[in-house]
Amino acid sequence: MSEQDLKHFVPTPPRLPARNEQNLRHRIQKQCFNNIGNSLLTISVLVLIYYVAKSFLDWAVFNAVWDAATRRECLDISPDGACWAGVIDWFNGLIYGRYPDEEQWRVNSGVVMALLWLLPLMSQRIAYRNSILISWITLYPFLGAYMFLGGTFGQDVGIIHMVFTSLAAGYFILLYLNWVLCAAGQSSLPEMVTPLTSKLFRRGQHMTGFLLVWGFLSILCGVVLAQMHLEPVPVDHWGGLFLTLIIASFAITMSIPVGILLALGRRSKLPVIHWLSMMLIELVRAVPLITVLFMAVTLLPIFLPSGAEPDKLSQVLFAVCLFAGAYMAENIRGGLQAIPDGQYEAAQTLGLGYWLTMGLIILPQAMRLMIPNIMTSFISMLKDTTLVSIIGLFDIMLMARNISNDKNWIGLHTEPLALISILFFVMCYGMSQYSLNLEKRLKAHRS
Amino acid sequence: MNFISPSRPKPGIANSILSCLNKDSTRGVVIQAATLGLVLATLLYLFSNSAQNLDQLGLSFGFDFLQTTAGFDISWSLIAYDPSMSYWRVFLVGIVNTLFLSFCVIVFGTIIGTIVGILRLSPNPLVSQLARCYVEVVRNVPLLIQIIFWFTTVFSALPPPRSGYGFAGLIFLNNRGFYMPSAVTDMSGWLIAAGSLMLLGTLWFLLRGIRRQQRQSGSVRPSYRIAFAIWGIVLCGMALIVGSSLHWSVPALQGFNLEGGMFLPSAFGAAFIAMAVYRSAAIAETVRAGMESISKGQHEAAATIGFSRFQTLRLILIPQAIRAIIPPLANSWLVATKDSSLAVAIGFPELVSVFMQTSVNQTGRAIEIIAMVMGFYIVVSLIISYLLNKYNAHVQFKAR
Repeated sequence: MSEQDLKHFVPTPPRLPARNEQNLRHRIQKQCFNNIGNSLLTISVLVLIYYVAKSFLDWAVFNAVWDAATRRECLDISPDGACWAGVIDWFNGLIYGRYPDEEQWRVNSGVVMALLWLLPLMSQRIAYRNSILISWITLYPFLGAYMFLGGTFGQDVGIIHMVFTSLAAGYFILLYLNWVLCAAGQSSLPEMVTPLTSKLFRRGQHMTGFLLVWGFLSILCGVVLAQMHLEPVPVDHWGGLFLTLIIASFAITMSIPVGILLALGRRSKLPVIHWLSMMLIELVRAVPLITVLFMAVTLLPIFLPSGAEPDKLSQVLFAVCLFAGAYMAENIRGGLQAIPDGQYEAAQTLGLGYWLTMGLIILPQAMRLMIPNIMTSFISMLKDTTLVSIIGLFDIMLMARNISNDKNWIGLHTEPLALISILFFVMCYGMSQYSLNLEKRLKAHRS
Repeated sequence: MNFISPSRPKPGIANSILSCLNKDSTRGVVIQAATLGLVLATLLYLFSNSAQNLDQLGLSFGFDFLQTTAGFDISWSLIAYDPSMSYWRVFLVGIVNTLFLSFCVIVFGTIIGTIVGILRLSPNPLVSQLARCYVEVVRNVPLLIQIIFWFTTVFSALPPPRSGYGFAGLIFLNNRGFYMPSAVTDMSGWLIAAGSLMLLGTLWFLLRGIRRQQRQSGSVRPSYRIAFAIWGIVLCGMALIVGSSLHWSVPALQGFNLEGGMFLPSAFGAAFIAMAVYRSAAIAETVRAGMESISKGQHEAAATIGFSRFQTLRLILIPQAIRAIIPPLANSWLVATKDSSLAVAIGFPELVSVFMQTSVNQTGRAIEIIAMVMGFYIVVSLIISYLLNKYNAHVQFKAR
């Protein structure tokens, strides 16, 4: 026997896993039927689930009526089933409110455009992600407002609105041209004109190239848009899911900048700014949203000069923005407090001023820490938008309530409410699952 | 030679002004003054506008309207109210109704939430998943939809009073609301309230004394037992006195409606059930998070001593979890109080409905009324956060 053999390590074969412990039947037996009490509990829960599911499915699917002209007809066909025919009849109203039928393509294309604008952010390889986001927040609202409100350039659309709409359209086209060019392996449009600009300007060739192309495209878009005529649709015809999404997305996007400003103000060492921010935050957080909405609707017309009365949607957007901002400020403040002092000192050592320290060092870390809380706030903002129905904006909630006033569908309450409940559930649950996923990814990233 | 020494600015009037402006303290003063000026100017602008607008409308600013007669009826009120009473009374009715609704929601929401939160941790996966489904469904549907759902499809769908549900001829449920017998007494309510308050006060005092003695000496002096006996006799005596003057008012059908007894409108029922369910989901999550914050070693230690699951919960888990649970729980109660304002959507006469809607429409005194309503909510939130801070200071782990 050589030394080689002695040194050779022969592991004993691992014990087989205890298979009984692993299989499903054993697990069910151990967790659900381990003693009499637990077995009874399990059986009663099963019976409960069976009855709830059966009665719901009977009502919603098996006994439901999908095709009828009036509620009476529904009841004649099946007295104890859901009458989805009424909801189908009103479906357009639930989505678009009183937006004219022939103009609804504008809502669709406006929303699709908003999503397309954000689509490049999904790709990890895209450059200037922040500028896309910032342009979405600052430029898209003008383009969206033009699409939704309509009007003709130079007549009902003001000069500032015209300019920004053209800039937004130009940016949007540039974004996608660049994307297509990059996907095809070409250099981007601004890079293509750089050789021209480099002869004219010594410095900042890329920037001037970009600005030149953007400006050119914007002027082109402006000229094209000026030829178009979109039928004006006043704000009080907006409604349904469309209006709900407008209010919710406005609240969500505006809450971040307002929240950051208020949170920084509250953390400020300057007493006046500290106290003003704190008072505003605490005041808004102490009162219910509905009182803030009532305040905006009744007090804004009093406080603003007579004649300059904003429409109801603007009043509501103002209130929602204030409210969401105050809640977001507390979230961000929580994140700011979690950043160790060393980060501030390090930034100071590098010679960064207040805004650079905050913008480059502190806020990115603080926001990342608070992502779960921020997502929770977003979800509650989405849910809170239903409150605007109380002050008479025709959001999806009020449209759903109004179906029961239609003379064909008098008393049809349950089905529309069930539909919008499911809709909100899907949106909110999706957001919360996404936030959990994000949290997990960030945790994995950090450790 | 010394390359990195900063080049000192030459003394000069321009330079000294510049360096003075660049100082942090100067900048702070300037920024603050500018902000304050801007805020004050905005406020001044808004108030001058409002003065002008109020002038145009022929209104004035002031709280004198509170003394004038309201002249409108309120569908349901816990305290006595009729249309000849003043707006101040309307404000009080709104506050009492709001507080009553929030109180009921808080009590039931907390009880249901605690049960669901504990079920969520059940070792039986079926039970814990069922509790999870309940929480997720309730949490992700807006409260307003739930309130309107309960109101329109449950409570309004009940039969009318003549054919409503009755239980033992005492409790009635129909599409107007919920009727139950109430005790009516000829004695003044203040006297009874004062008596009960005094009894409760003495009971608390006695219990505290006993506890202190138990801690110090390990036994209880017999004098406390005698005190307890006296307390019991006084309680029985008072109950007898009150009971002798007491008679029950039972709701009975008269014409198309039920008369007598205590009445809760269906709007209250819908708002109460929807809010209690919604709140219970939030509280269940709070309770679960609190319970999960306790380390597994505590469970194992309890199992080692031979505690049953219920004993583990009562003696080991809950006393420790409560420290983590109380702060978010109090916050949840505060949110419940604020959320009670949503009952305005189904016409329950709470503060926002009677004061912010009806009274503003009647008087046009928007600024004063909105300030009063917001003031009420601010006071409530200040009280709750004050109590919470007190409690937190009380239960903090004390370093010994």
